[in-house]
Amino acid sequence: MAARGFTNLAEATEAALIVAAQAKDQAAFGELVKRRQGWARALLRRMCQSHAEADDLAQEAFIKAWDRLRDLETPAAFPGWFRRIAVTTFLMAKRRQKAVFEEITDASPLASEESTPEAAAGAKLDLERALARLSDAERLCVTLNHGEGLSHSEIVDITGLPLGTVKSHVLRGTDKLRRLLDPDS
Amino acid sequence: MTDFDALLKRSFAEAHEPADDGFVVNVTAAVAHREASMKARTYVQYGAMTLGLAAVSWGLYSAVGALGPIGQEMMASLGLEVARAHAAVSTAPDVSASAQNFAQSMGVGLTQILMVAAALAGGAVALRSTRE
Repeated sequence: MAARGFTNLAEATEAALIVAAQAKDQAAFGELVKRRQGWARALLRRMCQSHAEADDLAQEAFIKAWDRLRDLETPAAFPGWFRRIAVTTFLMAKRRQKAVFEEITDASPLASEESTPEAAAGAKLDLERALARLSDAERLCVTLNHGEGLSHSEIVDITGLPLGTVKSHVLRGTDKLRRLLDPDS
Repeated sequence: MTDFDALLKRSFAEAHEPADDGFVVNVTAAVAHREASMKARTYVQYGAMTLGLAAVSWGLYSAVGALGPIGQEMMASLGLEVARAHAAVSTAPDVSASAQNFAQSMGVGLTQILMVAAALAGGAVALRSTRE
């Protein structure tokens, strides 16, 4: 695992790491994983019910990225390219589990369960717990829309869901989050 | 965008990212293991291809080596049979012995041809399976 051409991996730019990883430099890829693991795992943890499952999927996504890194045309496209791999990995896992995107109708406010002054003031949201109350599809669409800043059409492109379905999931998911997190609204 | 949407976006942005609790080590170990497996698989493929090529080469070599004498033998047998047939027509001897000789020579030739064909087919199958 020699770091070819790098005197210090920690100081290398992400673009340089990607180019080196494309040339099968495992040390460069390791540094890339180190830099991106927080974002990737946080993204998948928001989509999955369990942290362990999310971390397994994140690992699977990074290994897929390693295998397909040569397909990446420009290093600047890495975040979007990897996000697509992560979402596809999540969707494939759900299909393997034959998961039905079930509706969770329980939208009782979380603030009543945890009535801290902070939460009541709406300054800090217990986002993770609220997201866990959404259906898988709503969680996925809301995370990509609000968390990753993707437009509805970009979500359609990544997930393969119909546009109307995506819009509906985002709308209903956001509405549920509003009721869960901001009971005064 | 409503106030809540803005608040939601901010909450997503401010949500903490998990610390590296051995995740990177796991991924890099998995990648290293994968690369080692791929390398081993490549070596096995090369080995199988070498064996397949050797079988095909042997088959071709045998075919080239065997076809010469067989051809000569067959031509000789054919010439002999023609001569014997001519002699039979002219002198009317017993033709069963010459027919038996011809069948025997064809049998020896067929065995060699079958062996060569089997080697060629086996080599081709080995090559194809390793490529797949």
